[in-house]
Amino acid sequence: MIRFGLRLSTRGGRESLVRLVVMALAVSVGVAMLLLTLGTINGLGKQNARGAWMATTPSVEVGYPNHGSPFSSATTSSTHSPIWWFISSQQFQSQLIVRVDVAATGPRALVTPGIPHLPGPGQFYASPALARLLRTTPAIELGNRFAGTEIGTIGSSALPSPNDLVIVIGQSARSLSKVSGAGEITSFVTSSSDGGPDTAGTTGLQTILAVLALVLFFPVLVFIGAAMRLSAARREQRLAAIRLAGATMRQVTVIAMVEALVAAIAGVAIGFCLYFITGPALVHVPFAGQPLEPGDLSIGVIDVMVAAIGVPLAAAVVARIALRRVHVSPLGTSRRVTPRPPRATRVIPLVVGIAELAYFVSVGRPGSSNGQIEGYVLGFFLIMFGLVLAGPWLTMQGSKIMARRTSRVSVLLAGRRLSDNPRGAFRAVSGLILAIFVTSVSVGVISTILTDHGSSSSNTLASKTVTDQFAFNPNNSVATVKPSVLSSIQSIRGVSGVTVVYVAPGAMKIDGPVPHINNLGGDLQYGVVSCAQLDKTPALGKCRAGASYAALGDDVAFMPITKSVTVAASTTWPNAHPTKGLTTLPVQLIAVATNGSASTIEDVETVLDRNFTFQGMTGLFGDIDAQKSQLLSELQTTSEVVILASLLIAGCSLAVAMAAGVSERRRPFSLMRLSGAPLGVLQRMVALETAGPLLVIAIASALTGFVASDLFLRSQLQLTLRPPGLSYYLIVGGGLFGALVMIASTLPLLDRATRPESARIE
Amino acid sequence: MSVPLTLLGLLEREPSHGYDLKRDYDTYFGRAKPLPFGQVYATLARLSRDGMVAPGEVEAGDGPDRKRYAITPTGKEEFETWLAEPVEPEPHLQTVLFSKVVLALMLGRSAAHYLDTQRAAHLQRMRELTELKRQDNLMDVLLADHGLFHLEADLRWIDMTAARLPSLAAAVAS
Amino acid sequence: MSVAVVPIDVRSTGTLIEAIEVVYDFGETPALRGANVAIREGEILAVMGPSGSGKSTLLHCLAGILVPKLGEIRLSGERVDTLAESARSALRRDTFGFVFQFGQLVPELSAEENVALPLLLGGVRRNEALVRAREWFGRLGIDGLERRRSGELSGGQAQRVALARGLVAHPKVLFADEPTGSLDSLTGELVMELLVTAARQDGTTVVLVTHEPRVAAYADREVIVRDGQVTSLTPRDRAT
Repeated sequence: MIRFGLRLSTRGGRESLVRLVVMALAVSVGVAMLLLTLGTINGLGKQNARGAWMATTPSVEVGYPNHGSPFSSATTSSTHSPIWWFISSQQFQSQLIVRVDVAATGPRALVTPGIPHLPGPGQFYASPALARLLRTTPAIELGNRFAGTEIGTIGSSALPSPNDLVIVIGQSARSLSKVSGAGEITSFVTSSSDGGPDTAGTTGLQTILAVLALVLFFPVLVFIGAAMRLSAARREQRLAAIRLAGATMRQVTVIAMVEALVAAIAGVAIGFCLYFITGPALVHVPFAGQPLEPGDLSIGVIDVMVAAIGVPLAAAVVARIALRRVHVSPLGTSRRVTPRPPRATRVIPLVVGIAELAYFVSVGRPGSSNGQIEGYVLGFFLIMFGLVLAGPWLTMQGSKIMARRTSRVSVLLAGRRLSDNPRGAFRAVSGLILAIFVTSVSVGVISTILTDHGSSSSNTLASKTVTDQFAFNPNNSVATVKPSVLSSIQSIRGVSGVTVVYVAPGAMKIDGPVPHINNLGGDLQYGVVSCAQLDKTPALGKCRAGASYAALGDDVAFMPITKSVTVAASTTWPNAHPTKGLTTLPVQLIAVATNGSASTIEDVETVLDRNFTFQGMTGLFGDIDAQKSQLLSELQTTSEVVILASLLIAGCSLAVAMAAGVSERRRPFSLMRLSGAPLGVLQRMVALETAGPLLVIAIASALTGFVASDLFLRSQLQLTLRPPGLSYYLIVGGGLFGALVMIASTLPLLDRATRPESARIE
Repeated sequence: MSVPLTLLGLLEREPSHGYDLKRDYDTYFGRAKPLPFGQVYATLARLSRDGMVAPGEVEAGDGPDRKRYAITPTGKEEFETWLAEPVEPEPHLQTVLFSKVVLALMLGRSAAHYLDTQRAAHLQRMRELTELKRQDNLMDVLLADHGLFHLEADLRWIDMTAARLPSLAAAVAS
Repeated sequence: MSVAVVPIDVRSTGTLIEAIEVVYDFGETPALRGANVAIREGEILAVMGPSGSGKSTLLHCLAGILVPKLGEIRLSGERVDTLAESARSALRRDTFGFVFQFGQLVPELSAEENVALPLLLGGVRRNEALVRAREWFGRLGIDGLERRRSGELSGGQAQRVALARGLVAHPKVLFADEPTGSLDSLTGELVMELLVTAARQDGTTVVLVTHEPRVAAYADREVIVRDGQVTSLTPRDRAT
C-alpha cells in the first residue's frame, strides 16, 4: 500500500504534482519559521552569555549594607585580586551606554572580559561603536562624560551585540571605594542559560519570542491545512475510484497519509534550505533587542529533530483529521449537503470577556495583584477564545445580511457561499485572529506607555527637560549643587532654566494639600523649590501667583511609569514656607529646561554626568528607564512584524483555499460565463469571499485588541489608549496589501478555469 | 397484426356480436386500417370451425348476423398461449432497404444518398408522430411512441449501414 | 413520400442568425470546415450528428462563445464574430438564452435565484427579478420548488429550472445543447414538450443540438453536421 501510495503521489499527473508542491511549500514555510525562531532564541541566549559579566553585582555595596544580590560573586578567587566595581547606565540620543567603573586593588587584578588588562585611573576601553561615536561627536556632548584617554577597544566576545555602547573606565581604588553602590568583586557572572542573570531581560525576551512564534504558528498550520484541502474533491474522486476497486477505508487513509508525508519530507528539506538562505539576512533585523551577530543564529541537534520530525508529524496529523471528516465511499461524494449552521450561543464567551474587562474599568479591579493578573488573563483568554468561537457565527450573520438585500450577482453568490459554510470560510483566517489580537493588545499598551512619556513624540515639554534624579540615592550620599555647577549648566546654549528640587523637611508648612499625580499612594518625601526657578522649568508644574516657594508632590521626583507627564506640567503646586535656606537641604532632583535640540540635551547630560558621576540618574523628564523604553519599543516592532507575517501567511492560505473553491465550482461558473456573465462578476465574487472575511476579521481582531488594551490601560494604569504610530499603520496596511496581492494572483487561475472554451463535457 | 387471435382476445373479455367485434377492433387496433365486415365473419367462421369459438342462440331481430359468439375453453387456451409468446421480429422494412442498397451498389449508384433520403423521410415521419402526441389522446400517444421507437431503431440501422458502406461495396464488387 | 437532398439555401428572408463558411479547429483537430446554416426567426432547428462531429462547436460559434477562424456569424444581418469578448458576452447575456445538459445551476442559490440570474446580471432589481422568475415555475409545472437548492431537485426538475433560466429574459435565440441528455425518456419528453410550447408561445428561435432523433423530432427541421460541414435533408413535399 505504501509503495502504491508513493507511486500515486509522485507520478499521478500534473494536478497531483501541483498539490504535492503546494503542500511541500506550506510545510517548508512552517519549518523555516520554526528554525528561525529556535535559532533566534539560541542566538539571544548567546548574546546574553556574552553580556553576562555586566550583570555582576558586588555582595557588599558601599552605602547599602544589606543589599546583596543572588548573583553576586561570593566566592573568593585565589588567582586574581579583587577589583572595585561600579556599573551604571546613561543615555545618548536615546541609545543606552553601559558604564563600568573599575579599580584594581593589587597586582594580578581581575580583568573584565574583552580587554587585555584593567585600565588604570584616567584610562578607558570603549566598545567599537562607542569609540566611533566618541570620534564623531563633539566632546561637550559626549566625550566629557568620561574622564580619561581611550587606550583600546573592547573585544566583541564581551559584547552582546556589535552595536552596543560599553565603556570600562579605570579609577583609583581610593576614589571608587567611596562611591555609594560600588563594591569589590572577585569573579564575573557567566552564562545565563540556567537561571543566571538577565542583562537585557533576555529570558523574558526569549519567552515572549516563543509565545509570538507559537501565535504565528497557527496561521502556518491553517496554511498547511488549506494546502491539504486543495483539490480535495479531485483527490476524493481518485480515492473513491481506488475504493471502488476494492480498497478498504484504512488502505485509502494510508495512501492519503503517504502523500502527506512525501510532501512533508520535501517541505522539511526546502524549509532547511530556506533557513540557511534567509537566516544570515534576517539576523540584521533587530526583532528583539539588538541585532544578533551572524554566528549567533544557531540550531542545536534537538532543534533540528523537532523541526525535521515534528512538522511532518503535524502535517500527517492534519491530513488524518482532514480525511476523517470525509468518508470516502466508493461512489465518491456526489451530493453536497449544506453543513449545520453555527449557533448564536457561540458569541457568549466573547461578550463575557469584554464585559469582564469593562467591569474592571467602571467598578474597579480586584484588590490583590494576583487577583488582578488572574482577572486580566481570564478576560483576555475569554476574548481570544470568544473571537475564534464566535467567528463562524458572525461570518454567517454578516454574509446573510449581505446576500439578502443585494441585486448584484457577485455579492449574492459570495454572501450565500459564506453563509452556507461559514466554518470553512472562517477556517482560512482563523489563524489571524490570535496573532492580530495579541499583537494589537501589546502594540496598544506599549505605544500608549511610550507616547505618554514623550519619548516617541517630540514636542512635549517633558521631552525637552533633562533631569538628574537623586531621589533613589541612599541618605548618606546626598548631592550638593554648587553655584558654579548651576551657572555652567545655565550657560549651555539652548538652556532656558534650571530648577533644583530639595527634599522638604518634615515640619515644613505647606498651604493646602499637595496634589497627587498618580494614586500609588505611599509617603515618600515631598520636594520644595524656589518659584523663581520653577517658572523657568514649566514641565514640573506651576507656582501660585506671587509665591516664593512651592511644595512638589513625591511623584515628581520619583516619576513612576503611570500617569501622564503632561499632568505634571499643568499642576499648580501649593505654597511652601521653608524655615531654612534651601541650599542646606539634600537634593532630590535637578531639572533643566532646554530648547529640545539633541546637542543641547546631550551637552546638559554631559555636564550633569561629569559633576555627579556616580550619583544621579540622568534622563528626560518622566522617561522610564532607558533600557525598558528601548525594550518596549523593540517589542512593539516585533509585534508589528508578527502581524505582518501572519497577514501574509493568511493571504497564502486564502489564495490556496480560493484555488480549491474555484476548481470545485468550475462547471457552473464556466457555464455561467458561457451564458454571458462577465468575468468581472466572478472575480468580484471571489474577492468578496476571500478578501471580505480577511479584512473584516483583521479589523475586528485589531479593534477588539485595542478595546481590550484600552480597558486594561484604564483600569490598571489610569491611561487611555493612544493611537499607535505610523509604523503600525504602514505594517498592517502593508500586510493587508500583500495578502490581497497574493489572493489577486490566483485570479488568472479563475479566468483560465472558467473560460468558455474550456467548458467541455467531462 | 394477427386478426383471429385478436378477435379471440376480444371474445375472451365478453361474448359479442360480430358487429360489436368489428367496432372494438377498429377502435383499438384498426386506426390506420379498419377491418372489413367480410373478414370479420370469415374469421369468426374459421374460428368456429376450429372449435375456438361457439356461436350462441340466434336472437330475434333482422339480419343473419345476430349471432352472439363466445370463446370456448380451447379457444381460451390457444389465446393464452399466443399471448405468452414473444413477437417475431419483423424484418420487412430492413429487407426492402437492404435490397435497395445492395442493388444501388451493384449498379454504381450513390447508396449513401439513398440512405440520406430514407433518413429524412424517417425524421419527417417522426416529426408528424411527435406532433400527434401533443394532441394528448393517450391511445394516440402510446401508438405514436411505438412508432417513434421503431423509427429510431431504423435510423440506428441506417446510420450503421452508412458506416459499413465501404466494406459493403467491396463485398459486392468481389 | 418522395424526398430529395437540397443544398443549404443561405440568406433567405426572415433569417435571424446564420453561419457562413465557418471554419474552426482545436489546434490540430479540425471541427468545422466551411459550415453554413441559416436559421429563420421563430423556427426550431435541430442540429444533429454523432458525438465529436462538431455540432456543439457550431452552436458555440453561433452563440458567440467561440470566434471562427474563418467565416462569418451574422445576427439579423450584423456580424457578431468580429465583436470583442466583452461585447459578445453582453450579447449572450441580453439576446441569447442557454440550456445545457447538466451542471449549470449554481449550488449556492435557490431555484428561483438561479432562474433570476440572467435578469440580475442584466441589472434588474432583485425583487422584480424574483417576481419575473417565479412566473416560470407555474408555467413549467415546478410550483413549490422555488426555494429549493439544486442539490435537492431531481434531474427533470433541475432541467426545467435551467429551461426557465434560459427563457426568463425573453431571449431572441435559445441555444439548447443536449438538454435532455441526462434524463430518462419520459422526463426528457416532458422537458422537450415544455421547451417547444414555451418557445412557440413567445416566438423564440431555438437551436437544439442533439444526437437523438426522438428529441430532434420536436424541431421544425433538422440539419446534420458531418465531416465539419452542415447538410440539410428537407423533403421536397410533406407526405401525410
